[in-house]
Amino acid sequence: MTTTNVAAVIVTYNRADKLGKVIEQVLAQDRPADQVIIVDNASTDSTAEVLATYEGRPTVHVERLGTNSGGAGGFAHGMSVAYERGADSIWIMDDDCYADPDALRQLLDGHAAAEASMGMRLPFACSVVRWTDGEICEMNNPEPTWDWGKLLVRGENAVLVNSCSFVSVLFPRWALTQFGLPLSEYFIWFDDQEYTRRITAAGPGVQVLRSTVTHDLGVNRGVNFGDVNDGNMWKFEYGVRNEASYRWHHEDPFAALRFAQRLYSGLAGGRVPWRLRRRLARKWLEGIRFDPKPAFPRTVL
Amino acid sequence: MTDPHDQTGARRVFDILQEPDWFSGLSTREARLLDGALAFHCLARPGERIRATVLRTDGPHLPSLTDHGTQRIEWADDRRVVGTIEAHATGTPLPGHGVVDVVLDLGGPPEALMRLEQLPGRLHAARNAARGRAPVAFDVLRQLRTDRLENRRLSRPIPRVGRAENTSVGSSRGQTPAVLFGLHWLELGGAEKWAAETIGMARDAGLFPIVISDRPSGHPDIARPVFDDALVVPLTHPVPAEHESRLLSQLFERFDVRGVHVHHCTWLYQRLPWIRAQYPGTELVDSLHVLEWRTGGFVDIALRMSNVMDAHHVISPQLRDYLVDRQGLPREKVTLATLADLTVDPAAERSEPATGRKPGDPLTVAFVGRFTQQKRPYLFLRLAARLRDRLGDRVRFVVHGDGELATEVRADHARLGLAGVVELRGPGTPVAQTLDEADVLVISSDNEGVTLTSFEADAHGVLVVSSDVGSQASVVPTELLLPRAPLPFLRAAEDTVVSLCEDPDRAARLLVEQRAKVDAFAALPRARDWTRSLYERWAS
Repeated sequence: MTTTNVAAVIVTYNRADKLGKVIEQVLAQDRPADQVIIVDNASTDSTAEVLATYEGRPTVHVERLGTNSGGAGGFAHGMSVAYERGADSIWIMDDDCYADPDALRQLLDGHAAAEASMGMRLPFACSVVRWTDGEICEMNNPEPTWDWGKLLVRGENAVLVNSCSFVSVLFPRWALTQFGLPLSEYFIWFDDQEYTRRITAAGPGVQVLRSTVTHDLGVNRGVNFGDVNDGNMWKFEYGVRNEASYRWHHEDPFAALRFAQRLYSGLAGGRVPWRLRRRLARKWLEGIRFDPKPAFPRTVL
Repeated sequence: MTDPHDQTGARRVFDILQEPDWFSGLSTREARLLDGALAFHCLARPGERIRATVLRTDGPHLPSLTDHGTQRIEWADDRRVVGTIEAHATGTPLPGHGVVDVVLDLGGPPEALMRLEQLPGRLHAARNAARGRAPVAFDVLRQLRTDRLENRRLSRPIPRVGRAENTSVGSSRGQTPAVLFGLHWLELGGAEKWAAETIGMARDAGLFPIVISDRPSGHPDIARPVFDDALVVPLTHPVPAEHESRLLSQLFERFDVRGVHVHHCTWLYQRLPWIRAQYPGTELVDSLHVLEWRTGGFVDIALRMSNVMDAHHVISPQLRDYLVDRQGLPREKVTLATLADLTVDPAAERSEPATGRKPGDPLTVAFVGRFTQQKRPYLFLRLAARLRDRLGDRVRFVVHGDGELATEVRADHARLGLAGVVELRGPGTPVAQTLDEADVLVISSDNEGVTLTSFEADAHGVLVVSSDVGSQASVVPTELLLPRAPLPFLRAAEDTVVSLCEDPDRAARLLVEQRAKVDAFAALPRARDWTRSLYERWAS
């Protein structure tokens, strides 16, 4: 019999207020993670004090980065560390994600059951992500495959998906060996979409409906280009560059053009000022020239 | 004097009709080679009298024991007849008339075989000349080719043999519980060292060891005590096809072969589907050591045969990830069990770090390993030349080893003007002495599994700087891993050693990190434990 070594990876940046609860929820799992790796993305708030209270725990390992590498860099680093420390499965989440007590067990069981049912290896399993009011969290709803109901009709509580966000998702080690790490060059936004789409070259992912987490966002709203303003512009700039890059280089130029059309419509629908639209158009063009390649983790244990 | 024949297990399968007096003139190695050859020919023709003409030579010639050539009753002029002998397989009635003649050539003495290190042929001569004159340029091209082959290999599926559909009938029929081992050869090598250990473990578990090797060699290690009372058949190729199946079926009928353990033996790997089909009750396992990107090596052969095998034992995490993650073998079929304790006792006290050298003492940088293309001693010599120019007498070097590139190493040493800077040491000096003197060990190999020298170095408090190949990342701190390509390797190695020389605090910190890595690696399951429990199960 083989046992599975699961590493939970939490990436945090200036969320000292929520981080403690996130870690507590992970440590309180009824199937505990064998390692909990917390990547502090060079936080400038009191994150270090929160982490100091957990560092003595036998399963907790803290990685402090010298500079903020964004969510993408943080996840790539944390997943790489988990891989080097011999993890068989890697469960990753944001620093405002509260896992229900059985979230990990359900993910592991659901993933194994789906693999048995499909007769093949599946490259990821994600949880159902709720907002604080218990409704579905719009930002984290995965995209289903065309045959998404295949497992449901077999009586399993799981849906086949093409992609998901990095809020409670489990990757088997082999996915990292074969496909490498998320693109840290993306910094933030679309890194999760690119990565999960990249690894579905090996087969669909699965959303395990019994595994649930809560994403403690300020508002429950998905990504909408009509919402662009001066305050959130920096995130949208990364998002547009990254998605244009992905569509152009990993799908085809027409997909990038369709994305441009969607971007245009969204911005127009939200009456976003022209100066912001022009900046995003430049980011779209930058994406065409931007094509980072994945790094691969190193086998240590 | 004990007749060397009395020590071999071959006597279980054949009888000598009349013991000739020339036997005692054979060395133990020769006597055991002869026993292996007689065992083969008697088993291949049970019920027939085998009349063998035994030859030897002083020249650099490998033995010819089981191949087609043994059926020809003529030989080269430089062979001498040692004597003749008649034998027949035990357990079969002795025929009254008619004999089968074979000519068994025991080859030259091991000293003469050393001269065979360079492969014959014009192509090899040209290749060796190019490497001898411009080893780094040669290596650059070689590594580019390796990169190309590595990418190609990872993008192409490896064909697999079909599964055996009906495995319900047939089993080994003999009485004596036995293990059939497949070895590359019986001479120096990490895989061979482990193979020899497992043979001893099988005997300890009450299983009779049957050993087949498939590579041409003088098999100097056949005289080692671990092969006492084992049936060793050193094959020389091409073996006549009908003799192959006869040999295996006779072994399975005469012994209760509980398991087959393959250690780097292509011939036996390729016969596993037949064994699985004919003797499905026998478990088939192997031990794998290193990924060879250029040829695929034994790992690819193991993958091809995996459908008919029960388990693969791997000694490094890299191999586990390759087989399970990349090639999709079931995780429960691949066991990682390391050889971390094969040369070093992990319970033993470690030496104090040599980095505690007194201020003003030179930093001692060592190379320990065989002089082969794989280990790239020429890169170390060039590194030494660069460091001498940069650090002067603040650094000294020891190159400890021997092997097929020995002549080139000596020529390079003179050409680079390293006399007085790099001390060359041969097998006459214990490795432990070199490691006691060293502060830094440089591993310049272009491919490895996990080098056992890394563990030895760590045990002596020596910091290991290594090319990032195989599973070296498992025991070497990330900061001390260097690129594999020769020119980047030299640049990075130079900077690293200069930094270690100038910053003893960094060296001390890295040694702590190295020890933590070695400890974590040593905590992984041990190959000895896995093998012991496997053999105990087979013996029960």
